Amino acid sequence: MSVRNAILGLLAQRPRHGYELRLAFEALVGGEAVWEVKPAQIYTTLARLEEAGLVRQASAAQEGGPEKRVYALTPLGEAELADWFETGLSEAHQRDEFFIKLMLSLENPNANPYRVIQAQRSRLYQELHAQTALRNQANPRRELAQIFLLDKVIMHLEADLRWLDMIEGRLDEIRRQPMPAPEVKPRGRPRKEDSHHE
Amino acid sequence: MSLIIANNLTKIYGSGATAVTALKDVSLEVAAGEFVAVMGPSGCGKSTLLHLLGGLDRPTQGSVTLDGHHLAELDDDRLTELRRRKIGFVFQFFNLIPVLSAEENAALPVILDRVRPSEARARAREWLAKVGLGDRLAHRPDQLSGGEQQRVAIARALVAEPAVVLADEPTGNLDTRASDEIASLLRQVANEWGRAVVMVTHDPRIAAYADRIVFLKDGAIADETVLEPKSQGNAGMVADKMRLMTT
Repeated sequence: MSVRNAILGLLAQRPRHGYELRLAFEALVGGEAVWEVKPAQIYTTLARLEEAGLVRQASAAQEGGPEKRVYALTPLGEAELADWFETGLSEAHQRDEFFIKLMLSLENPNANPYRVIQAQRSRLYQELHAQTALRNQANPRRELAQIFLLDKVIMHLEADLRWLDMIEGRLDEIRRQPMPAPEVKPRGRPRKEDSHHE
Repeated sequence: MSLIIANNLTKIYGSGATAVTALKDVSLEVAAGEFVAVMGPSGCGKSTLLHLLGGLDRPTQGSVTLDGHHLAELDDDRLTELRRRKIGFVFQFFNLIPVLSAEENAALPVILDRVRPSEARARAREWLAKVGLGDRLAHRPDQLSGGEQQRVAIARALVAEPAVVLADEPTGNLDTRASDEIASLLRQVANEWGRAVVMVTHDPRIAAYADRIVFLKDGAIADETVLEPKSQGNAGMVADKMRLMTT
């Protein structure tokens, strides 16, 4: 995701300046330790949103310090936000560095794919252990939103671990199949005799 | 000192052409206060290992020492006595007696060990209070939730003050929430109350409560993972995972 849509949602609550947006975002996800956003990311995103006509500068706040630009949603921004609320999100699980590592380890004489899987499993268990601790430390009377967010992370980790078990169990089968390779396409113009066959 | 020392355990069922090696050359030590999870696919030898550690079965080769006692040196009667005094068992299906109250169920092991019933009941009440069931003493198993029944079973396992607690799929029959509570409680049994706890589970979520995870594969230890202490919850990993989920 984009912090972009979060900014639209936060501006729908009320106009805010960049620093306020950053604090509001971090409070929402449970602290900057969970999901840190750099100020530069907020300001570039705001600039892009303004350029696209989704937000506008509403006024300038001056609280004794330097002037701060306060942004508000435009009708176009409201429409974009409504669209976001009503459209399901796709998560890009296919882009998986571990998967690439594992596939490459299958054909590398210096790598052991079982060790690659075990290293990943160990790492995922460390994470699961840490997340579970964080979740159990959170106070359900005040921090239920954060608990649900951590539950999501925990469930994803569980799924990843189950997937590792599955792939480990069938590694030999994968090995017997050819590595996925690009199709060989002839370069340049097709030769004339080829066209006769079509 | 390690309360559980298993050296080079091998267990072969049957003989000749039909022999099945359930466990081969497994060594494991578990210290007081330590919570170890044993994981692995079905048939990997998890339950066999637990049975050998608990003296419910004898190894073909190798040895088990529990709190200084060599199991191989004990005859069956003395082994039974050691099991009753040194080992608390927790099972997937609770194994409570339906007609007895929580207090009577928890008191049973020490009553069988010829402790006076009034004394046994006092100890049972104490452990039931520690596992959070101080207000459920008179309830029968059918009046308790699954999670509560497993708490009674854990109190029953602890009432003889054993050095070692062995749990076989203790959350296998519980919903997610009760599973988390039971896993937390087993962690407490180890980390706060100083028992050596070994738990067999197939559930990664539950294994993540342990201090160490041992992975069995085809009867042998394939790997071990030591988990960081809980107090060092790593926020950086959360951030990594969030990025993974959301980019």
